[in-house]
Amino acid sequence: MSTLLTVTGVTKAFAGNAVLQGVDFAIGPGEIVGVIGPNGSGKSTLLNAISGFTPVDAGRIELGGAPLQRLAPHRIHGLGLARTFQLPAMPEKMTVFEVLLAADNRRHGFWASLCGGAEQRAQEAASRALATQWLGELLLTGVRDTPAAALSGGQKKLLSVGCALMGNPRLLMLDEPTAGVHPNLRRDMVAMLQGLAARGIALLIVEHDMHFIGELCQRCIVLDRGRVVAQCTPAQLSQHPQVLQAYLGSEHPVVLEAAV
Amino acid sequence: MFDFCLHVLTLACLYGLMALALNLQAGYAGLLNFGHIAFVGVGAYAVGIGRLAGWPLPLSMLAGVACAMLLGVAVARLGRNLASDYWGIATLAVAEIVRIVVLNQSGMAGGAQGISALPGPLDALPETAQPLAFAVLGLFAVALAAWLSARLAASRFGRALRLLREQPALASCLGYDLGRLKRSATLASAAVAALAGSLLAGYTHFVSPDYLLAAQTFLVWSMLMIGGAGRVAGVLLGTVLVQGVYSFVPLARDLLGLGSETVGALRLGLIGAILLLCLLWRSAGLLPERLRTLP
Repeated sequence: MSTLLTVTGVTKAFAGNAVLQGVDFAIGPGEIVGVIGPNGSGKSTLLNAISGFTPVDAGRIELGGAPLQRLAPHRIHGLGLARTFQLPAMPEKMTVFEVLLAADNRRHGFWASLCGGAEQRAQEAASRALATQWLGELLLTGVRDTPAAALSGGQKKLLSVGCALMGNPRLLMLDEPTAGVHPNLRRDMVAMLQGLAARGIALLIVEHDMHFIGELCQRCIVLDRGRVVAQCTPAQLSQHPQVLQAYLGSEHPVVLEAAV
Repeated sequence: MFDFCLHVLTLACLYGLMALALNLQAGYAGLLNFGHIAFVGVGAYAVGIGRLAGWPLPLSMLAGVACAMLLGVAVARLGRNLASDYWGIATLAVAEIVRIVVLNQSGMAGGAQGISALPGPLDALPETAQPLAFAVLGLFAVALAAWLSARLAASRFGRALRLLREQPALASCLGYDLGRLKRSATLASAAVAALAGSLLAGYTHFVSPDYLLAAQTFLVWSMLMIGGAGRVAGVLLGTVLVQGVYSFVPLARDLLGLGSETVGALRLGLIGAILLLCLLWRSAGLLPERLRTLP
């Protein structure tokens, strides 16, 4: 299988406190991979390192063969990587629709914008069509003209997924996409994300909801204190002694059996 | 009285240009530039230094715009690694440095005396027609700048600036080069402000270090804050209100028999009071920025 993202020996310490200690894994196109681990195990730092928000101390990160570890976040986005944040903050003075349009950064230069012209109008029309499509798929059509900051926490999560998709990414990284999202909507999200994977978009998902992981992911990466302690299918997690110890605790994980 | 009104109108137009320029940075992009007057001063001094060097006025004005844009690049670059409030303090310092340099450059910039007998853009017209013609020129310039500002705000670039202002981390992970966006906004702002400065110097036929006082920056800021930053109509309303208070309060001297010092204090006090009332009751300005609902 070809690989899209390769992470090799990534290490990061904050003030001497090692947060990532030689993380290795790879993801192929269209693959759905979950990242789980206890709080403080380095999941969000891993996402920040890959997306360029946190410079790594050592190691290599490659997307489609291109090294990412010294690039700024906007350059990494240009190579086809999009992400969402754990706590998505949204603009107060922009509507949901406008935020989605702003998430499409093509042709935003000063002169192109000021002068306008046929190409600029065509780009704007294309962006509006795409934004309208994602509004529908993410069930946000009803709040299209609401200030984005006024959305509920769950709706902001959906909007941030929509923003990430406006850039046609090859790899989408979601930081706790279901936190605060209604269970019914969670089911729709599973179907929607599987649809994205079927189109060849790889997904890397940090999540605590083991049901969601079990339904969606083909593979799980288990982090503990900055190390990958297991890589297996969600069904195999409950048989992994290190996983049980590090994350799931001694009590038997009912949710995992449901996911099997 | 008619000439006085024309004078007030012309000044309002020139300050309107400065306020619209500041709005590009502060209103649209959220850049707290407290040294905005430096761009105006560079434009004004270009006309003065150009006269001493014997340059034709259009060349001096162009040179002024170019120098202000260079200063803009430097200021934007300076702010790359600073948080927005610290960058604001740095811009204030840059403007003060520019003022102190021209204050002490008696050879090239006239020192504290400034440079007088400057050429104006409408010197070819008969002297009696000049006030009206300058007011028309000012109105034309401010209308053009307002139209371009509004067009820019509605464009894809304007949208990117709003995202930068509201959620920079989100803008960055959506592929926007924040440094470049800030630079573009600062460059456009510097060019318009320098043009306003050149016109001001040409109108008053004079330039001095007093044109670069930090108080001037805050006067322009008060226009934005009272009227409504981020909205062209708000910025223009704020300009008219502040400039109106500034120009018409001295008339009270004759009406109420007040002394000059009292009038000066009254003028600043009134603007301060309006600013305070706006901050308390209309914190986003009299005409606040609106949500853009798109078809």
